Amino acid sequence: MTVSALTRPGERDRLVVKFTQIDWTFVIALCLLAGTGSLMMFSVAGSSWEPWAGAHLFRFGFCLILMIALALFDVRVWFALAYPIYGLGLVLLVAVELFGDTRMGATRWLDLGFISFQPSEVMKVGIVLALARFYHGVSADKARLSWWLLIPALMIGAPVLLVAHQPDLGTAMLIALTGGAIVVLAGLSWRIIAAAALAFIVAVPPMVMFVMHDYQRKRVLTFLNPESDPSGSGYHILQSKIALGSGGFFGKGYGLGSQSQLNFLPEKHTDFIFATLAEEFGFLGCASVLAIFAAVIFMALRTAALAHSHFGRLAASGVTATFTLYVLINGAMVMGLAPVVGVPMPLLSYGGTVMQTVMIGFGLVQSVRVHRYTEVTSGKGAFV
Amino acid sequence: MSEPSIFFSEVNERQGTFHRRSFLLGGFAGAGMLALGGRLAHLQILEAQRYEKLSASNQFNFRLVPPPRGLIVDRNGEVLATNRPNFRLLVVKDGVHEPGATLKTLAHFVPLDDDRQARLMREFERTPNQRPVSVMEDMTWEQFSAINIRAPEMPHVTADMGEVRVYPYGGAFAHVIGYVAKVNREDLTETGPNSESILLHPGFRIGRQGVEKAFDLDLRGRTGAKKVEVDARGREIRHDQDGDIPAQAGKTVELTLDVDIQNRALEVMGDESGAIVVMDCRSGDLLCMVSTPSFDANRFVRGLSTAEYRALADYERRPLLDKAMSGTYPPGSTFKMTTALAALSAGINPEERINCSGGWYFGGRTWRCWRHGGHGPQNMHDAIKNSCDVYFYQVALRMGPDPIARAAKALGFGQTFDIGIPGQRSGVVGSTEWKRTQVKRDPTWHPGDSVSYGIGQGYVAVNGLQLAVMTARLANGRKQLNPRLVKSVGGVEMPPGDEVPPLPFSTEHLDYVRAGMISVANDRSGTAYRQSQLGLGDVMMAGKTGTAQVRSYDGVASRSSDSVRWGLKDHNLYVAFAPIDEPRYAISVIIQHGGKGGATAAAPRAREVMRVALLKDPEIRARIERPLPMPDVSDVPPVGAAPDAPVEGPPLAADPAAPT
Repeated sequence: MTVSALTRPGERDRLVVKFTQIDWTFVIALCLLAGTGSLMMFSVAGSSWEPWAGAHLFRFGFCLILMIALALFDVRVWFALAYPIYGLGLVLLVAVELFGDTRMGATRWLDLGFISFQPSEVMKVGIVLALARFYHGVSADKARLSWWLLIPALMIGAPVLLVAHQPDLGTAMLIALTGGAIVVLAGLSWRIIAAAALAFIVAVPPMVMFVMHDYQRKRVLTFLNPESDPSGSGYHILQSKIALGSGGFFGKGYGLGSQSQLNFLPEKHTDFIFATLAEEFGFLGCASVLAIFAAVIFMALRTAALAHSHFGRLAASGVTATFTLYVLINGAMVMGLAPVVGVPMPLLSYGGTVMQTVMIGFGLVQSVRVHRYTEVTSGKGAFV
Repeated sequence: MSEPSIFFSEVNERQGTFHRRSFLLGGFAGAGMLALGGRLAHLQILEAQRYEKLSASNQFNFRLVPPPRGLIVDRNGEVLATNRPNFRLLVVKDGVHEPGATLKTLAHFVPLDDDRQARLMREFERTPNQRPVSVMEDMTWEQFSAINIRAPEMPHVTADMGEVRVYPYGGAFAHVIGYVAKVNREDLTETGPNSESILLHPGFRIGRQGVEKAFDLDLRGRTGAKKVEVDARGREIRHDQDGDIPAQAGKTVELTLDVDIQNRALEVMGDESGAIVVMDCRSGDLLCMVSTPSFDANRFVRGLSTAEYRALADYERRPLLDKAMSGTYPPGSTFKMTTALAALSAGINPEERINCSGGWYFGGRTWRCWRHGGHGPQNMHDAIKNSCDVYFYQVALRMGPDPIARAAKALGFGQTFDIGIPGQRSGVVGSTEWKRTQVKRDPTWHPGDSVSYGIGQGYVAVNGLQLAVMTARLANGRKQLNPRLVKSVGGVEMPPGDEVPPLPFSTEHLDYVRAGMISVANDRSGTAYRQSQLGLGDVMMAGKTGTAQVRSYDGVASRSSDSVRWGLKDHNLYVAFAPIDEPRYAISVIIQHGGKGGATAAAPRAREVMRVALLKDPEIRARIERPLPMPDVSDVPPVGAAPDAPVEGPPLAADPAAPT
């Protein structure tokens, strides 16, 4: 089966062809990451599949099948569903504002009776699709600098404000940065980028002092001076750094990390699983895992670059931006370079929501890859 | 929005921009990953050692182990205070488990009533997390094993074996040794030995009284530590035996006291209130120091209930007061040796006779002698032997108080001795200077004050220890002997009591006074003849009786104490030494409000205690058990020749139980 098959419309619509065009190296990399996560969960549970390691693998398997299934959907389906999904996301965010479940001081969950989920996750994919859809039909000049830009600004601003109000600052930031990345990739004028960056830097200190909630402000201030209260709010950062540093070059050995095994490390199987890994497998293990993450990012970006449709490019790179932000923010937090925000390490950390979001996003990326020669027109009736 | 018409060039331009910028995004991601890698290298390679230390200090913890408290033994090594195993129940509050619920569960296994639970809850509130609180001490083996079996279900509960102080002789040494108790907040200090964290250990006890308090730091020993692996909540996961620092037991404190003498003294006191002190006349060592009624120090270790404490504190005969050191009493006639020595030193001729007609009119009143009929003409020897009050009234009046005070001070009255434990009261030795400074109401010394001073009443008060010291100094005849209670601490000998300056009295004068005491106990007409017979052959005792009144007898028809309440009865005293030829032991006996006479109430008790002291002394024993001179056995035929030859028994006096 050759790539040229994809250029022949009759050939490329066959499922078998599509199937072979999925980036299987990429899939193996994802399996390695999820497997490493499960391995660490097995260790911190005291050499037990219960309660995390088994569930994590199972969940990953389910999400992997979902990802492959989504990869087979024609990219034009994604194109057509872009605005509806975004719209649904917005409606759900408003619904959460009105009827949502309040857990631990934040209203993030929507309970539909049979399932409860976070609408902000829908928005993570929705914003990527919607912006890609929008820029698909916008000329380079307009994308660089014009009044047209107010539309993507509104498209990003509305969900960000709704999510920040829940309050879920981490996710709001993630949505804003992902949206921003797509806007920049679409060709935003450097002058506006510089101005926005400047405005952001100027706006942060007053944001911290006046807009943030107390616990959020405390996290930021603790981050700036973690030793000020080692047993209080600086505890997480300090213990995580101890876990990392004490791992040394080769690590303490599998199952022998005292920081994680004796519970000094908080959230050892979720947000801080990277520190667990660092403690038991040392610099060697961490660098390897980071290399796999880098490879995943590289492969996804390459997929974006190869796509012939502007929609496909922007959608794939938007998902990659989200994933990259997850990895960098979680890594920086675990290593004491960023305040503690509830951003997990994708695929490594235990937790279903993020796994689903990321794998659905990767489904979109693979769909773009499989359909990279498919022409996407914005005309009515092109599809659907 | 109209249908977007996208030209190829435009499409190309968009694609070009995207490719350039996606390179930037890739570069940004790569830079981010490199930054994370660099940070990892910094933490895991450059600073690894620092974080390894922090990790180890998280993981391992040293738990303090209280050292076994040092023993307290008597002069023969008999143990007076030791430690025994104690099964105790500890509960740790960790901020997660509710201690109240734990206590309710524990109440199924050990007796914990609501009252006690409430008290423990208050203690939990004061105690920081992870510091164990002792819920129950001294569990039975059944209770201990019942808790231990269920320990895995209750991770914040531990049943372990600690040590608890025990006093095998209960009350006999309670006042001297004192007791240990839980540490109070007041005991803790910012610096010094009482700032150490071992004081907060639930098994630690601090010395509260007597030797336990005075030698607390020596008895404590050196705290050990147990190296344990702990989790984030401070729970013990594993014990690393190789990392343990062993605790070092406290030093042994050896006392000069003798268990047998002490026990006999306690026995003979019965339920009387008073004190007996026995002192070695050559070394100054105290062999016995008993105060009665006593209390069981073991109860104080366990913790006294309010009711128990009230019972002890409210009892009229005051068990908690150490009457040998802290109780001061008028010495009565036991003071007459002092007056006599003062008189001899002042140049009064002892052979001068003073007539006693049973009373003496002076200063507008009649000063009565204890003997209504009078003693007739008395010289100093007779006056001591008969304890004639009239003689000493007049001699004291002639001298005035100051020579008497000087003699009293030289004999040990009016002062405290450094015997290592606190609690002595110096009492009173009256003089013109003393009265001028101390008695604000009436600062002048009146002649009448001298009169009663001469017979040990009025401005004079002494304790049992001082009486024993006085007697020992008289018996020793040369040195101002000091008492010693602590023989050695941790094997290091304490300074002895006989490295002291000589007595400021001439040997003849001391011999004269001693002769008077010998007559008291050995002349048939002496005041305590019958009560002073030891029945130990030629090992004999010398003594002096004393009866000190606690109320005025002016206008009282009968001096008999039988009908008055306990608190108004006379004190009965006896001081003695033995043997009379080369004195070894001095004794003082005080019976508070005994209500009889010194001879009746105090002397027989002194005799019993003295007998034990003498019979325990190998030299004296050899003297008593002196074998009969036997023929040389070398040319006697073999044993078989006379199988049932009668064996000559030891001399009669050798048997201490033999009636006299």
